[in-house]
Amino acid sequence: MLNAIRSVSLALCLLAAPLGAEAATVITGLVRSQGGQPLPGLALLEKGEIHNNRWDRGALVDAGGRFRIELAEGGQYGLHVYASGYLYKPNAVKVETGKTLEVKIELVPEPTRANDPVIKRVEFVPPESGKGRMRITMDVFDPNGDLGPQVLAFNAATGRAFAMAPPSWVWSLKSNYPNGVYQLDVDPSDRRDWHFTVADHKCNTADILGFPHQPTPAQVIKP
Amino acid sequence: MGTVVESATVIVRSILLALIAVASAGHTSETAGDRAALVTEGEKWWTRSPDPRDPVACVTCHYGRDETRGWAASFPKFRPLPPPEGRVMTLLQANAEALRRHYGLDDPEQPAVAITAYLISRGIGVPVSPGIVAGQPTFESRLRALGESVGRGEKLFARRCDSCHAPSAVARTAFHFPRASAGVVESLERFLGRHRSERSPLGWDGQPTADIIAFLMSTLAGQPVGDVPARWP
Repeated sequence: MLNAIRSVSLALCLLAAPLGAEAATVITGLVRSQGGQPLPGLALLEKGEIHNNRWDRGALVDAGGRFRIELAEGGQYGLHVYASGYLYKPNAVKVETGKTLEVKIELVPEPTRANDPVIKRVEFVPPESGKGRMRITMDVFDPNGDLGPQVLAFNAATGRAFAMAPPSWVWSLKSNYPNGVYQLDVDPSDRRDWHFTVADHKCNTADILGFPHQPTPAQVIKP
Repeated sequence: MGTVVESATVIVRSILLALIAVASAGHTSETAGDRAALVTEGEKWWTRSPDPRDPVACVTCHYGRDETRGWAASFPKFRPLPPPEGRVMTLLQANAEALRRHYGLDDPEQPAVAITAYLISRGIGVPVSPGIVAGQPTFESRLRALGESVGRGEKLFARRCDSCHAPSAVARTAFHFPRASAGVVESLERFLGRHRSERSPLGWDGQPTADIIAFLMSTLAGQPVGDVPARWP
């Protein structure tokens, strides 16, 4: 009897071992201000070369300034970190499959918010027949007309990041993107999981907008 | 008779070469004051936005002195601009591109030249390592693009420059640039563009110029920035 239990235990261990041996591919980070204050926000990844606008995974940065993103595979990524009131920071990173890359990010407060893009309104439009895809729309305005392609939506439940489609045709990723209503069609999901931000070509960044998605006036943060 | 003619030809060539060398040396006779003024001008552009409504300057984000110290040594390199704009650029070209975007300058060449002088002054002594910044990850695709640029540059150099100059000798003068003399400022990119003006000119901000400089800098790998002889070869 004892031998049988031992055999079963050993078999279970052998079954479990390969799963445990497959180390995850992860980016973890600590986000702080120049003064060392932890900053909550968003950490979003482009897969491949940075600024290619192919958004992949992401994570919320918690109140302690920490985030963790688990990846399907290693490789080159563009890591963009956002915190309300701070210039966003792009970093090209390389993660090895099965390893954890730890990064430290320091953000600089925006000296003025007058040049920031503004999220005016977010709406969730359910599928008409109750089936099909949900449409998210976001009305965006940039005072200087130099909006970039980073009109971004992030679903914290799935860990997926998306660039939203512009309201009119755009020449290239370096073009100034238009003001207006951007949209994204996704599978129906809980709106409380959705977070949004927008950045212009100069790294000026709108405040991160989470549930209940009611924009508030942007504040200048004293360094 | 033939020998006499050949000897005379050699003498004439030598005199011409000497005259060219003297003329070129005269052209590079910048003073320490000129250079210092250019560096100061560059620091001003680096630290102050020209637009009071948008006070974000280069230094706002790139404030770490250690971060910028290695930049001059790491160019030319692949600049990951949104596709298809990403390409190998010289430090000057990258600065100009950033000034166009962040400061909104339509003609960023002169401020970019000044910032280039400032960043080179910050990087004196750092070993030249095109495409690689100490402490930063390296990416195969970017190094591959740089390698291709060096290959193109080598061919261009052979076509345009090799008959008079050895690449290693030209490369060693690269950090003389940008140079300032009697109020006239000139970048290496602009100099290469106008040199041998009988050939098709190269634009200071184009890919062929970046390729030639990538080739030249590849011959300097490991040597410290700024460790150059004081005269044109």
